[in-house]
Amino acid sequence: MASIANKTDEQLIVEKHISNLHNGFAHWPRAEEAPPALGDSRWTQDLILATWLMAETGQVPDNGLEYKIGASGGGFDVLDFNIPNQDQWLSEDTEIDLSLPLNRRDDGAQLKINIPMYGGGMSYGSISEHVMQARARAAQHLGTFTSTGEGGYPPSLVPYKDHIITQVATGMFGVREETIQYAPIVEFKYAQGAKPGLGGHLLGDKATSAVAAMRESVPWVSLFSPFPFHSVYSVEDHRKHVDWIRTTNPRALVSVKVSTPTDVDMVAVGSYFAGAHIVHLDGSYGGTGAAPEIAKKNIAMPIEFAIPKVHKYLVSENVREEVTLMASGGVRTAYDVAKAIALGADGCVMGTAELIAIGCTRCSNCERGRGCPFGLTTTDPLLQQLMPADWGQQRIINMYNAYAIQLRDLLRKLGLRSIRELRGRRDLLKYVG
Amino acid sequence: MPEHRDTAATYHRYHIPTQPAPDIEKWPSRFKVKVRRAGLAKLLISEVLHYGPRKDVILSRPCMYGVFSGPVGGFMPREEHCVGCLRCTTEFPEFVRIEHNPERRSLGDSYFTFNYVDQIAYEASSGLVPVRGAGYRGKFGGEGWDGMWTDMSEIVRPTRDGIHGRETISTVVDIGYTPNFLQFDAAGQPIGNTPHTLSIQLPIVLDGPQNELAAGVAQMYARAAAELDTLAVLPFDYAVGLAAYGAAVVPVLRPEHARRLSQLGFTPRMVEMQGWDEALYSAITATFPDAIVALRTGFEETGALVSYAQRGIKVFHLLADFHGRSADGSFVLDLIREAHKAFVDAGIREEVTLLASGGMIAAEHLPKAMICGLDAVAVDTPLLVALQARFGGECSARGASSFRLPGNLNATWGVQRLKNLCASWRDQLLEILGAMGLREVRRLRGEMGRAMFMKTLEADAFAGLLGYTEAKNG
Ligand code: SF4
Ligand code: SF4
Repeated sequence: MASIANKTDEQLIVEKHISNLHNGFAHWPRAEEAPPALGDSRWTQDLILATWLMAETGQVPDNGLEYKIGASGGGFDVLDFNIPNQDQWLSEDTEIDLSLPLNRRDDGAQLKINIPMYGGGMSYGSISEHVMQARARAAQHLGTFTSTGEGGYPPSLVPYKDHIITQVATGMFGVREETIQYAPIVEFKYAQGAKPGLGGHLLGDKATSAVAAMRESVPWVSLFSPFPFHSVYSVEDHRKHVDWIRTTNPRALVSVKVSTPTDVDMVAVGSYFAGAHIVHLDGSYGGTGAAPEIAKKNIAMPIEFAIPKVHKYLVSENVREEVTLMASGGVRTAYDVAKAIALGADGCVMGTAELIAIGCTRCSNCERGRGCPFGLTTTDPLLQQLMPADWGQQRIINMYNAYAIQLRDLLRKLGLRSIRELRGRRDLLKYVG
Repeated sequence: MPEHRDTAATYHRYHIPTQPAPDIEKWPSRFKVKVRRAGLAKLLISEVLHYGPRKDVILSRPCMYGVFSGPVGGFMPREEHCVGCLRCTTEFPEFVRIEHNPERRSLGDSYFTFNYVDQIAYEASSGLVPVRGAGYRGKFGGEGWDGMWTDMSEIVRPTRDGIHGRETISTVVDIGYTPNFLQFDAAGQPIGNTPHTLSIQLPIVLDGPQNELAAGVAQMYARAAAELDTLAVLPFDYAVGLAAYGAAVVPVLRPEHARRLSQLGFTPRMVEMQGWDEALYSAITATFPDAIVALRTGFEETGALVSYAQRGIKVFHLLADFHGRSADGSFVLDLIREAHKAFVDAGIREEVTLLASGGMIAAEHLPKAMICGLDAVAVDTPLLVALQARFGGECSARGASSFRLPGNLNATWGVQRLKNLCASWRDQLLEILGAMGLREVRRLRGEMGRAMFMKTLEADAFAGLLGYTEAKNG
């Protein structure tokens, strides 16, 4: 009772719920029956529970949970690998290299990530600072990156700056000279897959004083990120953007995040010619923040269709070896990552999977009331304590560790020594729809 | 008075005033919340023992939405508040279970599934655009509307932030006849055919039920249409007596009405003729010479549409069944494309107006149907769902479907629900138009280049993969 007596009610409440939640995250993946209302076609019960298990153990699930595909009936879910006979597999002790160089041009820093994935932009305000810290620390540990999203750069992230991508988006929230100078990579967000062509919207309830200070706005007033960049109407205008970043931080690589319209191939080539090191395609079925339902389902094409279109076009334009193509928006598993790469991407950008690792149930209530009941997409001071940064950091590291095991195992069976050898190997895929 | 004041005084920008109009009939909750009482009692005892007098700690429950905050807490959960976040079942897997409510899932029918019903219930009660977190949850693609995506532009947005009211995106459409070109005499006066159209402020026409159900709703539809500045298509017998909303009422006429046209009590701007009838057509043009005459007929007539246009009909309201099918089973998306193409091939698409009903049950179907070739959608079953109609089994056949409206339906509530639904759909249309960089909805008609189809995208992306050709060839 002494320990209880020394604590405030708030501390006890937070501890009580954290302990219950952690027990639940450990219980459900091992239970005989999944929670009946959990999951949907894209993120099935099994995928969510398998992700919780990987986040807890760092290992590949071995209890029968389906951890490779969902049940959407299309895209990655109807693709599989055409694994050759066992006599063609590489031996168990073969070194398999998952690293990915991000700069294929002869300017800027030669950055390399240890796994072919990094974290996508989730802004301060839309997620809690604890979540941002967990992601940043995990990125540092894994030797990869995470992105600020467009809500600014909290000072608590500065110690991890070598692993943080500064996002510059249309609202320019939190974009300052020093945040550009911190960044090894600056990401221009032209559009995002979940709401292509619509910009962004942070509800007034989430624009707390801290969020408003970061964004240099008025507390409790809704914030719109307009669409598009009001300074960009052509590739030449885009080039000026790139030059602006290069002037402020000549070392930084420039990534251009775009959505997937019918002319996504032209957009990608235009981005390359404007000086981008990384073209980041964000397909329509992903997204972590709130978006109009009509936009999520209907505007722009799924990433599975955009990747081969862009890859082929970059090859035909003779520039494929000079640009890194990253894919996101509905990439849920290690197998999705591998399929995206076989279709022509170099690597993937992950969002939802990281949130699920730290307790998201995909309930879609992020924007309701005080925000996420699990403390993820919220700025509520009490709720955000439910996801402590050190716990979250380890869960994310564990999930990627399990992904790395799967990728290495897959590459070994395909007879490939490096993830880079998988790029564009459509011949290794089969259609199982 | 300074000129700008005059302008301000007469300024009018189209806007649909929305207001909350909550359900009047209690619908089953979305989730069932099951709490094993013994488990809960055990928890309470252990927490009392552990936390002693710290009441706030003991009473702190996982649900933020008030499900467990009734007088007896979790012993009688208030499941109508449950949003399915699953925090309670994560914290207490041993004794809390959240299930989808099968009763809620039985709303609607096999085509108008509960997801669509839920969506419309939200739109009609709030007038808002449905916004949710955490990405898309549904199937990858599919048949019909689900196998079609709309385009967007990365950097072109002449409309800027139209959705937020800072710049106009027009949703006005014209219904009627416009000649392909104008001719003038030597004095510069127009000769020959001149345009004969009416304009509505949004590409939605309210297509009323053509049976006795109309008795309960005709006035609501007419009033809502008048306030929305659009049209309500109603059976002749229920249109009679709606002179107060006459400019918004489109009576549906059958041959037997030819002698009763004067009973209507107002001069309609437009009428619909249920099937072609020479005598009726003559009676209409004689009695209401300025009215636009539309032919209301099944998509089965597509082959004959051009010939009707040559006989003077310039507006076509084509009907699929409530599941969007024609008699031969074709889907409304393909049917619209076929009808549109028939007029394009005949070189008279600009002269006619195409409306259609059937199987267009969500906001996203509106722009998709227009891309396929419609000028406007005549919305049918979604309006009934907005009024909380319950489906009596499968409702596909127009003549044989049974819907039950709430017994306590009242006009003010009903009109607001219809307006809310239209406001929400219009705002969602603006989102789609804004993403494309289109400034007006008229430009969407037949713009197939603004659409992407699953069939072609998948073939482009996956052709050549092992097993693809075999799977697609059967
Ligand atoms: S509100 Fe639901 S969907 Fe959103 S982050 Fe939290 S758990 Fe995930
Ligand atoms: S699922 Fe969420 S909303 Fe429903 S009762 Fe449990 S905690 Fe409350």
